[in-house]
Amino acid sequence: MALPDAVALVDLALKATSAYGRPDLGKRLQATRSRLADPNVRVLIVGEFKQGKSQLVNALVNAPVCPVDDDIATAVPTVVKYAEAAGVTLVRESQSDSGEPLPAQRTEVPIEQLAQYVSEAGNPGNRHQLTYAEVGLPRRLLESGLVLVDTPGVGGLGSSHGAATMGALPRADAVLLVSDAAQEYTAPELEFLAAARQLCPNVACVITKTDLYPHWRRIVELDQGHLRVVGESPRVFPVSSTLRLHALRTEDTPLMEESGYVELIHYLQRDVVGHADDLDRRSVSQDVLAVSQQLAASMQSELIAQEDPEKAAALIEQLKEAKQKADDLRQRSARWQQTLNDGVQDLTSDIEYDLRDRLRSVSREAEHVIDQSDPKDTWDQFTTWFEQQVSQSVTQNFVWTIQRTQYLATQVAEHFSENGSGQLPELNYGQKDFQSELAHLEKPDLEVVGIGSKLFTGVRGGYSGFVMGGMAMGLAGISMLNPLSAGAGLLFGGKTLHDELKRNKQRRQADAKQAMRRHIDDTTFQVGRDVRDMLRQLQRTLRDHFSSVAEEMSTSLADSVMSAQKAVQTVEGGRATRIRDLRAELERIDNMAQRARALDPVGSQAAFTSGGAALGAGR
Amino acid sequence: MTGAYGPASMHLGGAVRNLLGRAIETYGDSPQAAGWLRMHLTRFDEPLRVAIAGKVKAGKSTLLNALVGEEIAPTDAGECTRVVTWYQDAPSPKVLMYTKGGGSPRQLSIHRNDGALAFDLAGTPTERVDRLVVDWPSQSLRGTTLIDTPGIDSLSTDVSARSHQFLAPEDEPTAADAVVYLMRHLHSGDVRFLESFHDQGVAKATAVNTIAVLSRADEIGVGRLDALMSAKRIASRYRSDDKLRDLCQTVVAVAGLLAQTGRTLRQAEFAALTELSTLPRDDMDALLLSADRFVKSETTASLSTETRGALLERFGLFGVRLSVTMIRQGMADPTKLSTELVRRSGLDDLREVLNIQFTERRDLLKARSALLALDLVLRREPKPSSQPLAVELERIMSGAHEFAELRLLTALRSGAVKVPEEARLEAERLLGGDGGATPARLGLDPMADPPEARAAALDALSRWRRRAENPLSSRALADAARVVMRSCEGIIAALPR
Repeated sequence: MALPDAVALVDLALKATSAYGRPDLGKRLQATRSRLADPNVRVLIVGEFKQGKSQLVNALVNAPVCPVDDDIATAVPTVVKYAEAAGVTLVRESQSDSGEPLPAQRTEVPIEQLAQYVSEAGNPGNRHQLTYAEVGLPRRLLESGLVLVDTPGVGGLGSSHGAATMGALPRADAVLLVSDAAQEYTAPELEFLAAARQLCPNVACVITKTDLYPHWRRIVELDQGHLRVVGESPRVFPVSSTLRLHALRTEDTPLMEESGYVELIHYLQRDVVGHADDLDRRSVSQDVLAVSQQLAASMQSELIAQEDPEKAAALIEQLKEAKQKADDLRQRSARWQQTLNDGVQDLTSDIEYDLRDRLRSVSREAEHVIDQSDPKDTWDQFTTWFEQQVSQSVTQNFVWTIQRTQYLATQVAEHFSENGSGQLPELNYGQKDFQSELAHLEKPDLEVVGIGSKLFTGVRGGYSGFVMGGMAMGLAGISMLNPLSAGAGLLFGGKTLHDELKRNKQRRQADAKQAMRRHIDDTTFQVGRDVRDMLRQLQRTLRDHFSSVAEEMSTSLADSVMSAQKAVQTVEGGRATRIRDLRAELERIDNMAQRARALDPVGSQAAFTSGGAALGAGR
Repeated sequence: MTGAYGPASMHLGGAVRNLLGRAIETYGDSPQAAGWLRMHLTRFDEPLRVAIAGKVKAGKSTLLNALVGEEIAPTDAGECTRVVTWYQDAPSPKVLMYTKGGGSPRQLSIHRNDGALAFDLAGTPTERVDRLVVDWPSQSLRGTTLIDTPGIDSLSTDVSARSHQFLAPEDEPTAADAVVYLMRHLHSGDVRFLESFHDQGVAKATAVNTIAVLSRADEIGVGRLDALMSAKRIASRYRSDDKLRDLCQTVVAVAGLLAQTGRTLRQAEFAALTELSTLPRDDMDALLLSADRFVKSETTASLSTETRGALLERFGLFGVRLSVTMIRQGMADPTKLSTELVRRSGLDDLREVLNIQFTERRDLLKARSALLALDLVLRREPKPSSQPLAVELERIMSGAHEFAELRLLTALRSGAVKVPEEARLEAERLLGGDGGATPARLGLDPMADPPEARAAALDALSRWRRRAENPLSSRALADAARVVMRSCEGIIAALPR
């Protein structure tokens, strides 16, 4: 368990909610508790082909889990997480025909066989249709919940693999962009970095193979310069996996220092896991504070009424008014509901429009390309280019979607901010850990018409030329079979053949365009459906979360009104005892609140000054 | 030199030269067109122009130095070559800078910086420089002019744009006759680039003038001693990759740094390496663990930090490891070490491939460039008197057997013409895919005597005649077979009786 103090606090708060008869407040705490029980902190390791990503994972966990080869690349994402005993599970997720996710198939295999499933050699083009492979290892580094995800670098960051990686980013807690010290950053790497920063706030750069390149310091400097130019300032870690593995074998501490892994691991533990823990603590702290506030509310109003019955009437009035407001928030017609519903509707249409617009310009450009060449010669090259364009458009659309949804969520939260309950729930961008890759463009039938039929077409044209020429001359009184009409036949034949070739090319171009358009349609449909699903999910999450917040507020206020009213009726003799009891109860609750504040000293202050710090995506 | 098809090539060269002459006459009234054509006529007699292209930091300048055998092109850890630079043979060293928009070239002063040349652009911003032309007296440049290009995918988009523009200008034949394309790994960006090099003009889509090099091969195995074996294996996998077959003639693995240093090995360096090799094995392994350790650690060897730094600069960690191992195994002579380094670096393989693919086909590549240039003029400025030129151009393009061979070779490699596997390999060989010399075409030992060659050629001819005449052969196969037959006939005709 990652955060024993937080878990204990949640358990305490849970007990309090049942003791004070507020099981409705317990629901939220239950959810918090189960989130704490799954302490996974996902770190995505991304980068171009052959930069040493797998070796980085191996060096981090000091075990040859990810196959490393001079030539062959990783084909399937590998998830390395903590387990009591080492083991490998292959996970195959699939969809039913209607697009509903089916339960994932999990197969256990011996750890030695991993390479057969995750490398391009054993599993070319992911023939086994694996979604990812999960490796469990008993390592201290992973015990805190750190999960390393080795992604395939095949085809570069702009390919359909790249798009799949992009899709996994919002669910990651951190991203390590891996590039080797052989050269400075290239344009695609920097583009990827900028996009990744928008989806996942915790991005660091790792520069590998420093043992091999004497000039690695120059490269690091150059890279930092490039990062400054594009306005990014992630942490940069130069490391050498070879040195680390050697240092681990020989237990050589200075060498370990030189490998650069000490800082990297420190960063992973303190900034990544620590940050995730901080976020967890903050959300626990805020949840518990909110609960204690609500628990205290009714007792506080009763206490005021008990201490000074004169003021009770005014207090009850105030409370009733507040309750009215809270009830308004519960209505289906509440303003936040409108903001949410309108927002999601606008968002759906905006995003669909954006996607269509991007794909339409790709399609227009593609038509232009097809027009300029014969698809039978250029189809393969065209496919590569086209799929890259499509995947780029989809990725950009995706980044934009995430940004817009985060903005919408904070807007909805603003309606609650005056009550200090504007905290955002965890936003869920789809249930899948790895987005499926985009489909590939299908090849239309671009067969060249055989010589035989060419000849036939020529003969057909020639025949009509022959007959026509012959007939015209027949009219002029010359026999039909004569050299002149034969010449006309040849002439017509050649012309028809030429026309036919041109027509064939046009037909191929039309076929290619049709296949391309169909692909665009399919992609629009597939991605559009995914986006709609995601937004629907988001809408549901936000609605459920804020409805229950409104519900809780209303219940608490009703309780307060009731206890204040009860207090007025209390007989004089019991008053002193009741006041003492209430003070004791309130102190207990305050103790709990103090502990919650202590859990997250910075965040809780912020929460009370700004009325609920809105949390970003993820945790 | 061109073996079996020497006479035919000469014939082609003559025809093209003749055609260019006629075109210059026809376009006498258009100074621009005539100037352009005249330039191409002169170019026809100049050495073959081979451009070295590839992504940023692929090791282009290092490879150029290795090919020349001197450290002339400046190299650096960061992005270095920012302008297109030509290296050509001349009696005395000289550097000329051509700026964009014409104008007469400016002569630049030459500095030597640790052996490599340093060019001072005299304050001209790089984006205004069209190209630098370096005259350098060198045996290696006599037959080929080498062109160093800025890297593609460079971060400064301007540098990338200039390189695309140079190798694949939008609307005119390229200034290079052939390209050596360097890649570190097969990368989607690379493939797109090779595609853009392929023009759509007269000699449409031939991979004939491109060779791919898997560069920085010594780094592939992360510095392990068997790295070059790995690199060779990867290169051979690339060679059979359908996508690449369509785009280039072949793929060779080369460790540029090793080759450059091997060709310019100095006595002092050999002495330093020998000194190193006397260290006990354990000390040696500890020293060679990382580049930092090699330079900085205290060691019993009496080599200063600077000397070790310089060694690393010249050899790379892999190079030092390899050289020391070889000296330990008894290679006590700098010449032998130098030869062995060059051999292992793969440079010899590359030179052989360059020789077969480019030098032997020099006339053909030159003719192709010239015809492309003429085609452009004829399309841009058509006039009634140029009609016969167009017909002649068409006749050469379709009539010259060399072009037919090239076309079929490309079609076979790209899979556009479907031929059974074993027949395809033989066809490619007979068409000159492994070299234009008679023995290479017939798959014989280079020393094979004429009667043996004749027997093999006759054998091949009858085999392909059967294929051509077999009613069950597909059209495509029968057509291909007829071109191959013609190649066989050419071989037989050229053999001494």
